[in-house]
Amino acid sequence: MDNIIKISDLVVGYGAPVVSQVNINVAPGEIIAIIGPNGAGKSTILKTITKQLKKLDGKIYIDETDDDSISGEDLAKKLSMVSTEKIHPELMTCWDVVATGRYPYTGRLGILSKEDNEAVDKAIALVGAEDVAAKDFSRISDGQRQRIMLARAICQEPEILILDEPTSFLDIQFKVDILGVIRRLAKEKGIAVIMSIHELEFVPAIADRVIAVDSGSMAYVGTAKEVLTGENISHIYHMPQAEAITDGLWQYANSLKEYLWQK
Amino acid sequence: MKTQGRNYVLILSLLAALLVVLAIVCVGLGSADIGVWDIILSFISPKDVMVGKIILSIRLPRILAAIILGGALAVSGFLLQVFFGNPIAGPYVLGISSGAKLIVAIVMVFFLNNHLVITSIGMVIAAFIGSLTAMGIVLLLSQKMKNMSLLVVCGVMIGYICSAITEFIIEFANDSNIVNLHNWSMGSFSGTSWTNVNISVVIVAVVLVITFMMSKPIGAYQLGEAYARNMGVDIKKLRVALILLSSLLSATVTAFAGPISFVGVAVPHIMRGLLKTAKPIVMIPACFIGGAVITLVCDCIARVAFAPTELSVSAVTSVFLAPVVIYLLVKGKSVVHG
Repeated sequence: MDNIIKISDLVVGYGAPVVSQVNINVAPGEIIAIIGPNGAGKSTILKTITKQLKKLDGKIYIDETDDDSISGEDLAKKLSMVSTEKIHPELMTCWDVVATGRYPYTGRLGILSKEDNEAVDKAIALVGAEDVAAKDFSRISDGQRQRIMLARAICQEPEILILDEPTSFLDIQFKVDILGVIRRLAKEKGIAVIMSIHELEFVPAIADRVIAVDSGSMAYVGTAKEVLTGENISHIYHMPQAEAITDGLWQYANSLKEYLWQK
Repeated sequence: MKTQGRNYVLILSLLAALLVVLAIVCVGLGSADIGVWDIILSFISPKDVMVGKIILSIRLPRILAAIILGGALAVSGFLLQVFFGNPIAGPYVLGISSGAKLIVAIVMVFFLNNHLVITSIGMVIAAFIGSLTAMGIVLLLSQKMKNMSLLVVCGVMIGYICSAITEFIIEFANDSNIVNLHNWSMGSFSGTSWTNVNISVVIVAVVLVITFMMSKPIGAYQLGEAYARNMGVDIKKLRVALILLSSLLSATVTAFAGPISFVGVAVPHIMRGLLKTAKPIVMIPACFIGGAVITLVCDCIARVAFAPTELSVSAVTSVFLAPVVIYLLVKGKSVVHG
């Protein structure tokens, strides 16, 4: 299948390059996991893709079109995100927060149509957050919030979903939940997903391909099996003899995969 | 969702009706005793010249100014609160009104000393320059300080500095007109002319319409920059627009009525509490009507409470609204930065 997003020779960073030679192609329905130590530049890559940061060099093509020639509103219909930035909306219910995802589709004053309302309800149902929909966004747990932010991104009806550490700071139940939703989105709706993740044990369950970022470049690219070897983990995370934990990691990862795929 | 929309319209209509009733009552109140009947009569057939004159050339322009400029001030505060992502921002507490006041005072004294007459438009332009300058300083400071409470303290300090220089300039300028200038520098609608009312109506109406049409991107911006950009909002343009629109509104107020305290910061908060929403499409009209009601009442109190002595409007607004700001500061400490 044709790639929906092509990233070629991208250089990202805040003024000075943090990661260079970023090349990622993603087909519809594919999930790419970006791993690497804190500060390696995972978020920097994702922020550049979502245009929070200017690219220092290179090109990003969305559906064969250079993203620099796509208007903000048109890009919003193709690509949505969940960032690590916490939001503090005032007096907004979870439903209201999800509804902001309809922004690119509403008219001049942003009044929701019947179709918009239905899209919001559907997105909320998809992440299983019906029970908190009417609650104030500031009064729900972090896990619930992450679900709502995911629903918000879904209701933007994107073809590409960019997720920055969607599972961090959640308990295991929510981690499994969120990853399950992401997997369903990719496999059933054909959404291409690029996500950063710290929990290596979940990577085999979720990712079709893994990119390990370290020391300013994409150090390893491949399937989870190819990337998550003891030797590589030692390298990426600067942990001598990580081989010692790799077997256990894979055992846990395989059972998580089985558990997650069953659901 | 539909019923919610209807509720907002209902509450806003009630507030608007209240505003009309209050305006009529306020026209009747004052040192000259004028009944409601006299007011109606003066419109139908202006027989009693004295009453007609008081109403038409003194009270009515003043009341209209309080309504238009009070509303403008509250909307200006709302825009600043969106811009800073914080409920304790406002043109007065950030020193923006005082910056406008300083430049207006300098320009006025310069014109008076050179026996020139400054037009109302000239005053607005001077105030706009002052607002933008003060805003620029606040923006520079806000890059250094992420803590909103500290920024407000700095804003208050900027306000003090500007006010001190203004008083200094007024004190040393020798002209009989300075007496008026002194009243104005404390915040007052006294002596508002029809010209000022007309100009205010035009500026405020244009800015309000533009602001209302921008309620969609403003709403997106309330979720934070990252998400707003992801929704397709041009962040740079929006930020510039927020600054220009809020400065123009508060500059118009300062040019004609001087700095009026706390309406900009407190009214949006009161309206959020009343309507239980922060959506710009509701808040922009709500702040305008709410600001108009509160400023009208405060001006009426300033005029009538100790008649014939007049208080400054700011004295009255401070008494009622400063406690709201204190409440916000206390609450903000636990909510925003906790």
